[in-house]
Amino acid sequence: MILTFHNNCFFYSVSAKALGVATPRKPVLSVSARKIKDNAADWHNLILKWESLSDAGFATANNIANLKISLLSKDKIELESSSPASDKNEEKPYPECNKELEMLCEELQATLDGLTKIQGKMEKLTSTTKGICDLENYHYGEESQRPPLFHTWPTAHFYAVSRRLSDMYRKELLLKRTIVEELAHSSDHDLALSYLSMWLHQPYVENASQLLLEGMLLETGHRTL
Amino acid sequence: MTQDRPLLAVQEALQKCFPVVEEQQGLWRSTLSDCQPLLASLSNLAEQLQAAQNVRFEDVRSLRAFPDLKERLRRKQLSAGDIVLDKLGERLASLLKVRDTVSSHVEQVFQVYEQHANTVDIDAVLQPSVVSPSLADMLEWLQDIERHYRNSYLKRKYLLSSIHWGDLANIQALPKAWDQISEDEQDLVQGHGWVYMGHPLPFPEAQESGWMQREN
Repeated sequence: MILTFHNNCFFYSVSAKALGVATPRKPVLSVSARKIKDNAADWHNLILKWESLSDAGFATANNIANLKISLLSKDKIELESSSPASDKNEEKPYPECNKELEMLCEELQATLDGLTKIQGKMEKLTSTTKGICDLENYHYGEESQRPPLFHTWPTAHFYAVSRRLSDMYRKELLLKRTIVEELAHSSDHDLALSYLSMWLHQPYVENASQLLLEGMLLETGHRTL
Repeated sequence: MTQDRPLLAVQEALQKCFPVVEEQQGLWRSTLSDCQPLLASLSNLAEQLQAAQNVRFEDVRSLRAFPDLKERLRRKQLSAGDIVLDKLGERLASLLKVRDTVSSHVEQVFQVYEQHANTVDIDAVLQPSVVSPSLADMLEWLQDIERHYRNSYLKRKYLLSSIHWGDLANIQALPKAWDQISEDEQDLVQGHGWVYMGHPLPFPEAQESGWMQREN
């Protein structure tokens, strides 16, 4: 399910400006609330996209690992049965397999590029949330009495959640980049299988991420109890 | 005619019981086949865990940037395993339900038989007809069937309760061990000279008894 947005923030900021000096706080805050609600929907949709791209990447990575393992076992057989005279064609023993491997690696690289873009958008969401916090701080200054934008979360909590999620996906992306770089070069079966397992289980996307996201969706009203 | 009445009562009870057993057998089979992909994925997870255990992450240069990776990966793999185990637990509960349903229906048949045990003609009980096995045979088979579900359930429950993550080789061998239980049971299911064809029609009427003699 894709969550939908309110794209009428601009309308609100214009009217806020028009109302301007007389009542600056309330309109600005409702713009903030809308922005944060949209960010929550963005988070949901980006994570969905990440998951489907990651799944597609896993299928590719799996093919790479299988091909690599079959190439390795062919090499082994070749090595065992070959005489020293057959060294001439050593450089390109299985051109069609290598070609396929190369194509698969390009495919995985394209998937990684897609994930990189998604992660960039996640960072942007976090920085806009930070901006909203800064704006609120500017308006309220040292005053401790701040009404929450929705139900119970102080605005800073949205930033904390956003930051945590961003960090998880940033580290996960780093790991996935390493896997893309190393998978086709690993000659060890256990290591190759471990790379695949890492890609699949996403060790840096903690189980708490689901709870953080759902909490944010609940708080902003995208989900109901 | 009055002598036949107790016999008829037992036949009627049997007539009600066999379709239930047949239906439950369908449920049992489909539940067993649901378990196979789950066991395969557990076995696969065990292989992943074993592979990660075999790799010294600190010796892999590209992974040095991730000092906590091994532990994190293990935790994720285990929690994926727990999800599969939960699903297997649900399937096991379905098998238990089949076992209990069959038991209670078989028990009802025997209650009816015991009510009439003193009045029923023993020769009639032992006498098969052209189209249906003898009452004695059918009662015996019901007992065999009930015992089969009891044994099979226990074996499977025991197998699943033997799973622990310290013994990865055992988990990797699970799908085979599971299939082995089914293979061992084949003899029992196919051992009779009669096959119930599953037509829930009036029992004593010859052609519609639901039974067929096996050809081999």
